[in-house]
Amino acid sequence: MQNTPSDLGLIARAVGLGKRYGDGANQVVALDDVSIGLRRGEFTAIMGPSGSGKSTLMHLMAGLDTPTTGQVWLGDTDITDLSDSALTVLRRRRIGFVFQSFNLVPTLDVKGNVLLPFELDGRRPTLDEQVWIDELIDTLGLRPRLGHRPHELSGGQQQRVAIARALATRPDLVFADEPTGNLDSRTGREVLGLLAATSARSGQAIAMVTHDPIAASHADRILVLADGRIVRDLGRSTPEQISAYMLQMEAAA
Amino acid sequence: MSRGLRDHLPTLLVAALAAAFGVALLQVTGILAAVIAADDVAGSSGTVAIMLNVTAFVFIAIAVYVAAVTTANTVATVVAGRTRLIALLRLIGSSARSQRAAIAREGLVVGALGAVAGALLGTGVAWGVARVGVAAGVIPEFDYGYLQPVLLVPMVAVVFTTWLAAWAGSRRVLAVRPAQALGNSAESSTEEVARRVGRTATGVTLIVLGVLALAGGVAVGLLYPMGVLIGVVGGILSFTGIVLIADRIMPPVLRAIGRLLGSSPSTRLAAENAVRHPERATRMTIGLVVGVTLVTMFAVTMETYRQAMTEVLSDQEMLEAAIGPVIDGTVAVFSGLVGFSAVIAAVGLVNTLSISVLQRTREIGLLRALGFDRTQVRTMILAEAAALTVAATLTGLVLGTVYGWLGAQSMLGSLTGEPRFVVPVVPWLVIAIVVVAAVAVTLAASVTPARRAVRISPVVALAVD
Ligand SMILES: Nc1ncnc2c1ncn2[C@@H]1O[C@H](COP(=O)(O)OP(=O)(O)OP(=O)(O)O)[C@@H](O)[C@H]1O
Ligand SMILES: [Mg+2]
Repeated sequence: MQNTPSDLGLIARAVGLGKRYGDGANQVVALDDVSIGLRRGEFTAIMGPSGSGKSTLMHLMAGLDTPTTGQVWLGDTDITDLSDSALTVLRRRRIGFVFQSFNLVPTLDVKGNVLLPFELDGRRPTLDEQVWIDELIDTLGLRPRLGHRPHELSGGQQQRVAIARALATRPDLVFADEPTGNLDSRTGREVLGLLAATSARSGQAIAMVTHDPIAASHADRILVLADGRIVRDLGRSTPEQISAYMLQMEAAA
Repeated sequence: MSRGLRDHLPTLLVAALAAAFGVALLQVTGILAAVIAADDVAGSSGTVAIMLNVTAFVFIAIAVYVAAVTTANTVATVVAGRTRLIALLRLIGSSARSQRAAIAREGLVVGALGAVAGALLGTGVAWGVARVGVAAGVIPEFDYGYLQPVLLVPMVAVVFTTWLAAWAGSRRVLAVRPAQALGNSAESSTEEVARRVGRTATGVTLIVLGVLALAGGVAVGLLYPMGVLIGVVGGILSFTGIVLIADRIMPPVLRAIGRLLGSSPSTRLAAENAVRHPERATRMTIGLVVGVTLVTMFAVTMETYRQAMTEVLSDQEMLEAAIGPVIDGTVAVFSGLVGFSAVIAAVGLVNTLSISVLQRTREIGLLRALGFDRTQVRTMILAEAAALTVAATLTGLVLGTVYGWLGAQSMLGSLTGEPRFVVPVVPWLVIAIVVVAAVAVTLAASVTPARRAVRISPVVALAVD
């Protein structure tokens, strides 16, 4: 048998991934034969025009949706044919999420939201994890807000709570879909800086969808999608290089 | 406007049920009066007819009241779900007033449709019952016209209260700010519990007066059976007071029940969901509370009465034979009549829960993404329904037992000629039926929303609308 993904230092891998919606004349090819590997501890930015398949790629790799073709591995687990409940447990334990909006459960306060992944797993944080959570809460400046409900927080604060929750269980991989899309650019960059710095310290891999060249410049690697395919796989780049590339791509289109 | 129509289906159903109940009851009363008049020996048929009518109207009033509360709640829930749309229209320049008026107008139309449909249905049922009665030889052939002007009373009442309830339920339209169309995801401050000081003050005053009258009834009842009349006044006053301040009673009860559900993530979230809109939760449960209280009260009073009679009179068997069927029959008829209001309330509860689960699609999707499995989602919905029905049933059982005992005490305190205290007798059969009905309502209320909820894909949570 071939090398397992983890032998290659990969935390997640997709091979020949495709997703089609609808059929016949209305068929939309959201993703077309995409093969990538995400490395342990690496911060990957996913960029590309609207409708290019970024969210779709992320949903498939996180086990939120099932592909039409291809396969996805998380660690050494082939998740393509996992049952719904097995996938649920996998998400609970090994993946963190930060969405663009509506990240938090409205009826729980900040502390309840951050601890939710542990509760779902039917356990309390270990001593070691508790130290990590306290550190996260302090780094993200949430200490004075622990007893507040989401509607009492600003958008930036809500996103920081989501980051704390996503990192709390130290999952192998954190998916973030335009996590700063609803924030003003300064708050957005602040939040991203925190996300990048915190994950760098704890060795978690991050895959983040963004349209912002400055946000993408925090990343170790930049994948660019167009029409459901990966058209570019860049290393760390400056915001200027990224904007120049995106402009050039738009002009070509 | 197809969405608007679908939003109003629950209200139409409730209005039709209330109107059908009122019309059927009046038709049956009318038929009975006609039968009695045809067979009038004592010349008292006029009085009997009036008494029957008065009794019928009491039950109709209860049903219409419960229907109105239910409708106000449904409308409030629908409005909460349309907040973004309303805000968007406000942003474009539509006034809050005109939007509210539109909702009230929809209420008027739905009320009228419901009243007509209900009247037809109710008349049909009464006709059917009478035909069966005649065929079985229970009642003689009678002469009765089904087109009675008095039928307009419940119909108009239903139209009017539906309109009023839509108006009251749409109050929140005025509170929608245009900016909410732009706001992001997190649910904005939950329906604030309006501090309606005036209403609370009235409620408390009524309760105090009612309790005094109830105490007076018990005291007088130790000497004269007429004490029960004072007690009835006290009961009506205090119970009205309780309904008025229900928004202060039900949320704490719901919280307490919620804690009993357990501490797993699904039941804890369910407990929170049950009280997240305290006003809505109150209105969702109050109809059931009214129904269960009345049924329990009546059953407790009658059962205590039976017990007291058995103690006082020596010839047990003859007595049982004489009053047993009367008591059983009265309890059955009364429970059936009040029970219908409880059915209306239950329909409202089912609807409100379904709508609110639909409105929580993104939240449920989020929970699924974070690792809630399908069973946990289903448990969550079931537990929420259970919290609501258990809270309503328990409150009703407690209130009903207390009122029932007070009634029996005032009525029977002087039975032996010297003052004495009566021990309340709890009719376990009736309680068991109420509990079984509550379980059925819980299951019915949760089955559709739960099925919908487990189908929600986690991708929904990520989609930006
Ligand atoms: N549920 C769906 N049904 C039909 N088509 C869909 C569905 N979800 C996505 N698509 C289509 O798939 C394509 C890729 O969508 P996707 O959401 O992945 O794009 P994206 O790159 O995330 O865009 P954006 O930057 O606007 O978020 C689009 O053409 C979209 O219309
Ligand atoms: Mg997207």
